Amino acid sequence: MAEDLVLDTAIRDWVLIPLSVVMVLIGILRYFVSKLMRSFQVPDPKIVKEGHIHLFSSFTFRQVIVRARNLRGAANFIPPKSFRSRRVYFSNEKNLSMIIPQTLTFAWVNFFFSGFVAAKIPFPLTQRFRSMLQNGIDLSTVDVSYVSSRSWYFLNLFGLRGLFSLILGEENAMDDTQRMMQMGGFGFDPSKSLTAEKDGLDIVQHEWALPKFEHRAEAVLKKLVS
Amino acid sequence: MAGQCDSSSSEKKSSEAMNDVPTFSTENMQNNMKVIYYSRTFMSIIGGVIAGILGFTGFMGFIFYFLVMAITSIGLIAKAKFSVHLYFDSWNRIILDGFMGGLMSFVLFWTFAYDIVHIF
Repeated sequence: MAEDLVLDTAIRDWVLIPLSVVMVLIGILRYFVSKLMRSFQVPDPKIVKEGHIHLFSSFTFRQVIVRARNLRGAANFIPPKSFRSRRVYFSNEKNLSMIIPQTLTFAWVNFFFSGFVAAKIPFPLTQRFRSMLQNGIDLSTVDVSYVSSRSWYFLNLFGLRGLFSLILGEENAMDDTQRMMQMGGFGFDPSKSLTAEKDGLDIVQHEWALPKFEHRAEAVLKKLVS
Repeated sequence: MAGQCDSSSSEKKSSEAMNDVPTFSTENMQNNMKVIYYSRTFMSIIGGVIAGILGFTGFMGFIFYFLVMAITSIGLIAKAKFSVHLYFDSWNRIILDGFMGGLMSFVLFWTFAYDIVHIF
């Protein structure tokens, strides 16, 4: 017995669409700012080596992301202890720079768009989700499918990551929110150590296959010449 | 890779069958992974919009999502000319990778289209 509420058209025009558009624009803005920062700043190897104390003086959000990427790329060439200490620092910094725009947008949504039904999700959920999805709405007889704008914000937060990877051309900083959701720095650890171990394994295998490469190279060259 | 100028196709061969130990070119592997990810995301978005417009609710919508994912997998396998091991290191990648991320995009666009069309 799903009673079909008729919702005001103005909600569509002034809540759903602007919220999505704002989130997309903020994501694009973040991407371009990081690109700008990358073009301005070539990471100074001396600063990276010298330690954490000096880094706070040159603190901007985007630099951190750039240096963290370099760290990830060159991770196998530095001793493991220094890698781990740098990784802890970077995960703390990156979580901060991701949390702040999200927190601001969340506060904006809560302030302006609360107290009314914003959307209807097409699939039914149990009653336990009511408090999570309908926190602005104080009627308990409304179907759980009718959700507030806060849940529309979260839906956008998770769903727009795919769209960003499509229109911005690469896996940009949004994919780190997934790891952040998985218990902060804890989800970071296994993937990094696993990658390091996998790289080590690959190198070992590579040496053993070396003799065959001569034959392969010979065959390829023969094919090219003939 | 290895003398074959296959740059016209979007998926590159990532292993050679001549070695005893199969070695993979990580760059090509990553490129193939990216292709799969983009395909799944794109199909999820399109599938979400279609499901919303057609008015699927509840279970029907999720079945439609699995259908779209299966069609994507079949399309990818066909593009890899059915010799999956030349391009990927395991079957799981071409079938299961990107499933969850696509689900979130699907649900978002499904909700969006459903609301705009049916509750407007």
